[in-house]
Amino acid sequence: MIRLVHLTKLYKGLRAVDRIDLEVKEGVIFGFLGPNGAGRTTTIKMMAGVMKPTSGQIIINGMELSRSPSEVKRSVGFIPDRPYLYEKLSGMEFLRFLGGLYRLDHSSSLESRILELLELFDLTHWGDELIESYSHGMKQRLVMCGALLHRPKVLIIDEPMVGLDPRGARLVKDIFTTRARQGTTIFMSTHSLEVAQEVCREIAIIQAGKIIATGTPEDLNREAGVGGNLERTFLRLTEGERLAHERPLSSS
Amino acid sequence: MPMRGLYLLLSPRFLGCKNALFSSGRGLKKRALIVTTVGIAFWGLMFALSSRVLTYFQSVEVIGDVLAHHLLAMVLLTFFSLLIFSHIVTALSNLYLSADLEMCHGSPAHLEEVFLSRSVFTLVDSSWMVVVFGLPIMMAYAYVYRPGPAYYISLIHMGLATTVIAGGIGILFTMILVSIFPAQRTKDIVILLSIFVVISLYFMFRFLRPERLVDPDAFFSVMQYLSALKAPDSLFLPTHWVTETLWAFLTRSRGGEPLFNGTLIWSTALAVVVINLWTARVLYFTGFSKSQEAKRRRGGRNILDFFLNLIKRPMGDDLASIVEKDIRTFFRDNTQWSQLLLLGALVVVYLYNFSVLPLDKSPIRLEFLQNEIAFLNMGLAGFVLSAISVRFIFPAVSSEGGAFWILQSSPLSIRRFLWGKLAFYIFPMLILGELLIVITNFLLDVTPFMMFLSSITIFMAVFGIVSLGIGLGAIYPKFKHENIAQVATGFGGVLYMIFSAIFIALIIVLEAGPVYIIFMSNVRGAQITLLQWLFIVLSFMAVALINAFAVYKPMKMGFQALSEYE
Repeated sequence: MIRLVHLTKLYKGLRAVDRIDLEVKEGVIFGFLGPNGAGRTTTIKMMAGVMKPTSGQIIINGMELSRSPSEVKRSVGFIPDRPYLYEKLSGMEFLRFLGGLYRLDHSSSLESRILELLELFDLTHWGDELIESYSHGMKQRLVMCGALLHRPKVLIIDEPMVGLDPRGARLVKDIFTTRARQGTTIFMSTHSLEVAQEVCREIAIIQAGKIIATGTPEDLNREAGVGGNLERTFLRLTEGERLAHERPLSSS
Repeated sequence: MPMRGLYLLLSPRFLGCKNALFSSGRGLKKRALIVTTVGIAFWGLMFALSSRVLTYFQSVEVIGDVLAHHLLAMVLLTFFSLLIFSHIVTALSNLYLSADLEMCHGSPAHLEEVFLSRSVFTLVDSSWMVVVFGLPIMMAYAYVYRPGPAYYISLIHMGLATTVIAGGIGILFTMILVSIFPAQRTKDIVILLSIFVVISLYFMFRFLRPERLVDPDAFFSVMQYLSALKAPDSLFLPTHWVTETLWAFLTRSRGGEPLFNGTLIWSTALAVVVINLWTARVLYFTGFSKSQEAKRRRGGRNILDFFLNLIKRPMGDDLASIVEKDIRTFFRDNTQWSQLLLLGALVVVYLYNFSVLPLDKSPIRLEFLQNEIAFLNMGLAGFVLSAISVRFIFPAVSSEGGAFWILQSSPLSIRRFLWGKLAFYIFPMLILGELLIVITNFLLDVTPFMMFLSSITIFMAVFGIVSLGIGLGAIYPKFKHENIAQVATGFGGVLYMIFSAIFIALIIVLEAGPVYIIFMSNVRGAQITLLQWLFIVLSFMAVALINAFAVYKPMKMGFQALSEYE
């Protein structure tokens, strides 16, 4: 469903993403982990078509993004980490706007789909309010509505839980799991190792632009030589654990 | 009240200025140099103009000094009123809406410290215009009347006190307004009020017909009228105290009571500060707290929905969505739609100017003059359209702001996005362009040929003007802006005005020759030679080519630049 081939991004000589190769199968929730500045958001942005790779290929649904951008984007839903929206539109108007962009039929089916999603994300009562009056978590949920509006086969998400309250976070996790069961592929970058452990079937860890480990959470735990704890695995693989021991908090 | 806290709260602004001054990049330094040069040029112009007017007044016997005195009173009162108004606008953002206020109020700083620091920012932000606009006039008075050093000392200390008083009144008014309405709503009210004030001043000035001052027939009666006018003054106005003191120093006459007036103005300034501090203790924090409450939407379907359905019909779903979003956003943002009022005022005055042209007093033959002006009017109208375009069309791409990711990640291609924006702006600009040209031509009573030529020329030029705006807007997008109005004032905006002016000038220059030949052949009843026809055809072909180039090239470059944007 998703294939990254030698994906590379250079920023003025710095290799933000360095010849990444990845494959994600249909219906899988794929966790993309890494420390700050490792190249996660850059990779996600390239996959969503908002940033151009220096070299390499992004193949989604069997189509290469650089060759058929419109077709690929029609089958992808993208949720960025800090979603900036059109503040002067209401939630309903924003979703209708997206419906137009994705050329969804402007009919009762679109309206009912919008209402269905607003209800799913607990935003029904806010649909007619301007986005500028939404809280961060509500905006995040509205973006999720937008990303699901055109029933994408692939969801690309950068930090899905930022700004969500525990109820919202639970809701989103359930929705992702259900969607994946129905065949949607979800590529998700997150800092929350608990979320990754809970919902991701496969995980990749990126560091300094390179993939340093891939596999199921169990595979990674085994590889790192730690039992059943993704946090320790992550720290071990990214050498954070060593640093943490060298500079304990009490000395700072 | 500890002053350390006040100093700390003021320090980010000082540090920011210092850093901008000493560690700015080459681009910023270049920009600062341009701004300084333009500022000095403007300052020089204001000084020269004011000196000329005052020298002129001095030469008028009996009433010359009365006029200069009246002018001083009026100038000071105008600045005082503008200062109050400017403080209301600035105080709203500095005291209630700035992003860093949450941090300040969340810190252990005293409320008075936060209030005073913000008042100082407001004072600085609002008072620069006094230095830019007011100082050259006051210096012109000094240049013409040659007063002693007491004039300068009084000017500085009384100017400062007047600014503090005006600022205090403005800030006090803002605190009261915000305690009645939420800050967001107050902002809307103030924006609308400012627009109406600007439009009223603009109309008032224009309809006074200042050109009559240089008309020898009307000059004396106007002068007598002005001198008979009682300057709007009152013993209780701080500007009265300043006017009388400065005038006494300017004319080296006794009176003016500088010591009394000086004490009066400073004690008033201090009283205003104290009153503001008392009021702030009661009203400021409540108002700030209210300003953070969410603004609710005023519901209901309206005429906009009907209008939107009408214009969306011929477009594809994706373009219709963009257009709908742009229009809704525009009309919901008061800083945006209210500028249409300014635009309307500009058009009215533009047309009015043509209706009062004293063509009959010119020694040139009326028919020549009418058509010559109509021809030059194409350039003027083109320039007006460019000025409107730089404000509304050039920022069209940047107006997507931080939400540009939505378009980037959507199936809509950048090419279609840009052509859609172009299609959207062409129609209103064509109407405006033709309106300016056709009505002015009617007012000038031009020949049918000139009417036809100018209508066609402006019709084609609008395509170039709009494409240049969209294309350059895409080459120099500013998605990270705080206010869309800032986009037009950037490097790209300046470049757009330059290219647009060159484009219009080229068209006018290329058409001048053929128009002259055709016009003269009509007047003299002479035949146009084959060579002249060839020249005419080639010139118009060149105009068509330039128009095509102005449409195609910027759009292509804009498309490339925006596709590469990350």
